[in-house]
Amino acid sequence: MNLLQSLIDACSLGAVYALAALGIGLTFSIMRLINFAHGELIMIGGYTLYMSASQPYLVMGLAALLVVTILALGMERVAFRPLRRASPATLLIASFAVSFLLQHVAMMIFGARPVAIDFLSPLSQSLEIGPLRVPWLQLLALGVTLMLLAALSSFFRWTAIGVQMRAAAEDFTMARLVGIPANRVIAAAFAISGTLASIVSVYMVAQTGGASYKMGVNMVLFAFVASVIGGMGSLAGAALGGFLVGVVSVLLQTYLPEGMRLYRDAFLFALFIAFLLWRPQGLLVKASDRERV
Amino acid sequence: MLKVSDLHVRYGNVAALRGVSVEVQAGEIVAVIGPNGAGKSTLLLTIAGVVRPTRGSVLLEEGSTLGLAPERLVTRGLSLVPEGRHIFASMTVAENIRLGGTGRQDKAAIAQDQDRVLTMFPILRQRYQQKAGQLSGGEQQMLAIGRAIMARPRLLLIDEPSLGLAPLIVNQVYDAVMALRQGGVTVLVVEQNVHRALAVADRTYVMNSGSVTMAGRSAELKTAEGFHEAYFGFRGAKGAVA
Repeated sequence: MNLLQSLIDACSLGAVYALAALGIGLTFSIMRLINFAHGELIMIGGYTLYMSASQPYLVMGLAALLVVTILALGMERVAFRPLRRASPATLLIASFAVSFLLQHVAMMIFGARPVAIDFLSPLSQSLEIGPLRVPWLQLLALGVTLMLLAALSSFFRWTAIGVQMRAAAEDFTMARLVGIPANRVIAAAFAISGTLASIVSVYMVAQTGGASYKMGVNMVLFAFVASVIGGMGSLAGAALGGFLVGVVSVLLQTYLPEGMRLYRDAFLFALFIAFLLWRPQGLLVKASDRERV
Repeated sequence: MLKVSDLHVRYGNVAALRGVSVEVQAGEIVAVIGPNGAGKSTLLLTIAGVVRPTRGSVLLEEGSTLGLAPERLVTRGLSLVPEGRHIFASMTVAENIRLGGTGRQDKAAIAQDQDRVLTMFPILRQRYQQKAGQLSGGEQQMLAIGRAIMARPRLLLIDEPSLGLAPLIVNQVYDAVMALRQGGVTVLVVEQNVHRALAVADRTYVMNSGSVTMAGRSAELKTAEGFHEAYFGFRGAKGAVA
């Protein structure tokens, strides 16, 4: 029973990592940008919930979604579009710059201490099935993630813009040569990425009851690890990697000896390094596909 | 149709094109031949807007195209089938063909053109729902040309269509090119296979080390004096290009 309980916890945490990893994976697959500022999109979603805290929950959630999506589009326009012909390394450094800038702006406005937010608190109650206790929030996180994954995969399969985004992810120059506007697919990637980030903020704020200027940092680090495990550039891989990281970290939390739990993340990253030695290209990317020009 | 004047392109410190001028009249098939590294592919990529020149001009139907993005040039009636084909390997043949018509709105005409492509290359109809990466090299070349046709280009640029293909398949590819010209499409083709190029093209340019070293009607070039020197390079020290 203990194992089953852990698995449920693991899947819901994994679901959130999967959403964050997808957000990072989307912009990477299209423009080879590893966007560490994705975490600050999550953070700004958190503060949007704080600013709109007197409103009904639904309004708060929609406000976060709207603000973060628009901010993601703005981030692309201001910070990354001028660098489009730059190397992936330059893009990565630029994303760090944006990340630190936004963190410090948030710290100036809201202070360095976490703020408390009352958001979706009824969902912290648990559904009890026999000996199992499953918080509604976890069920919701899992359900919403699965729905989003299904929606995204139909989007990429059936809509014109979705198919164009896949083409751009596979071969960006060729995509432009068949007439796919670069700006359109990149903006679409950022918009979807922002929307996913806002959903991660909703979960994190509901889970922790607050927001802080650093709330996105760890999340984005784990999400990045997840997308590398799945295989950079593969969206299915990002989702799978997210679930795996969630599962492993909850299992470590449960089964490590009491005194070592504090060092859970050290064990997690050690496993990650071992994984990379075994399969550097990630789970869902063939070694031969790794260098695409 | 196309007028390229004094085009210069540099990759870092390396000059890839040094003052190339090429003209293509409407309805012509024009070939560019030359050894590896002569700048042929760079020329096509620059015309298609992928590479930016440091100097010179490109006029497409009287309008300058310099600084226009590749996707804008597609709507201006120019399509490139790049070297190595660059089909979208993880996507189906159907998706590849449909992507060729990205910039168009005329649904009925798109369906018509799709049918035209599948009639031109029946093998693609058989492979319609397969991943493009599973196709043979020749089939991929046909798909790449079919995809380009879907944009209804008035000027089609093709880079090395015969590369790595069996002669029989090359025939099929060039039959398609001839059929396109019959349909009013102007073609500029880069080709390493000299005999093939001279047989197909109305006019041919010879390039070496980033410059045009000879040009003329294909029929006359074959026997022209100095053709081999132009092809393999002649200007003393500069000429040692294999």
